[in-house]
Amino acid sequence: MPLNLPQSERPGGRNALLALLVIASLVLTTVYFREGDDGVLHHARRGVQSVVSPVAAAGEWVTTPFRAIGDWASGLTVSRSEIERLRAQNAELRQRVAELEEARLENERLRDLVGFIEARELDALGARVIGRPTSGWDGVITIDRGTADGVEAGMPVLAPAGLLGQTIEATEHSARVRLITDQRSGVASMIQSTRAEGIVRGSIEGVLNMDFVSRDATVTAGDVVLTSGMGGVYPKGLLVGEVEDVQLQENDLFPRIRVRATARVSGIEEVIVLVGAPPQTDPGDAE
Amino acid sequence: MRRAAPTILAILAAMLLQVAIAPHLSIGGVVPNLLLLVVVTLALVQGPQAGSSAGFAAGLVFDLLGTGPIGPMALVLAVVGHIAGSLSANLFAEGWLLPLTVVFSASLVAEVSYAVLLTILGEGGPLWTTLWSVSVPSALYNGVLALLLFPWLARFLRRDRPMHTYRRLA
Repeated sequence: MPLNLPQSERPGGRNALLALLVIASLVLTTVYFREGDDGVLHHARRGVQSVVSPVAAAGEWVTTPFRAIGDWASGLTVSRSEIERLRAQNAELRQRVAELEEARLENERLRDLVGFIEARELDALGARVIGRPTSGWDGVITIDRGTADGVEAGMPVLAPAGLLGQTIEATEHSARVRLITDQRSGVASMIQSTRAEGIVRGSIEGVLNMDFVSRDATVTAGDVVLTSGMGGVYPKGLLVGEVEDVQLQENDLFPRIRVRATARVSGIEEVIVLVGAPPQTDPGDAE
Repeated sequence: MRRAAPTILAILAAMLLQVAIAPHLSIGGVVPNLLLLVVVTLALVQGPQAGSSAGFAAGLVFDLLGTGPIGPMALVLAVVGHIAGSLSANLFAEGWLLPLTVVFSASLVAEVSYAVLLTILGEGGPLWTTLWSVSVPSALYNGVLALLLFPWLARFLRRDRPMHTYRRLA
């Protein structure tokens, strides 16, 4: 006697449902790539961002005491005040050294170039970090400034220690910032001492690599990496990081340069958005 | 309908926790996927149909929360939910080890499949690097979290069959 299962529990019905969902997923993916930034799915994403931003902010607020305890515990061997003072001083000195070196080289060349000083003349807007990456696949944070404050997609975002990323989406009261360590990021950069230019790219593991630097350029560990200003997204002279390792094989077209980002998202609570920077048409691409 | 309410609640709760709490549970950049945990647990206790439907919904939420393409995680979790649900009828073990093994395996399959899909779509990084830096660590992290969450989540989602002991979860 055959079993009288409900339609939905029969293997055929289950497989049909799965097939339907698979097709729906493929259609969604196709539509996402076909539509522009004003498409339905992109709008839906911005809608979700508007809804979850307060939730992310609440999570940030709730977890702050626990993170503070964690930070305190990790630094038990040295006094907390001493660590904070040294960290602040270290970040300040790094930025200061980079600025001074940049200014010196620019003066030597008698060129009135735009650099970090000019970048500081841009309109800057302070913002608070209210959301951190929700998965290992995205190097994206959320800040509490949006279109109501003049923030748009494609604006550079700085942390006290250096360049952090750029805005990629903005709602009325929040914006998403793609970190330079994200695999979809690319920053036109240069080695400060030799002026050798290249593209600093993020990666899935959060490591920065500087590509397309000439083989003839002299690059050594410890060299400071700055934005080159090419492409018009990031002002020239923003601190990106320091060269951590350089490898050049005989058959390599370009040296493999690993860069250590000076601005790290962990522990950052406030950032600066350069609202005067020119907008970018495709924020994910290299400038 | 009696089943739908806890399911919807669990997915909504997972979404909120994924946004508010999961980022702060990050270890070395590895963030746990709470939506995936809910989908696999739901599939194990309610079967393939609920697993694939919940997987699609949770995957869509995951895609909308991120900045990558919309659709790949919905596809992955629908399939993983279906497969895990198909296993539920065959899990007769009276212990917790087997369901947890399934949760870990499902996490691994989901994370690896997502990495492959992103690579095919031209949105991912080098596949091997991605697998070792994100997929495998995430699956391990999800497996460890499942040790803590699975019993409570399964109890919440399987209300039509009350469970009195931890050992009867499977």
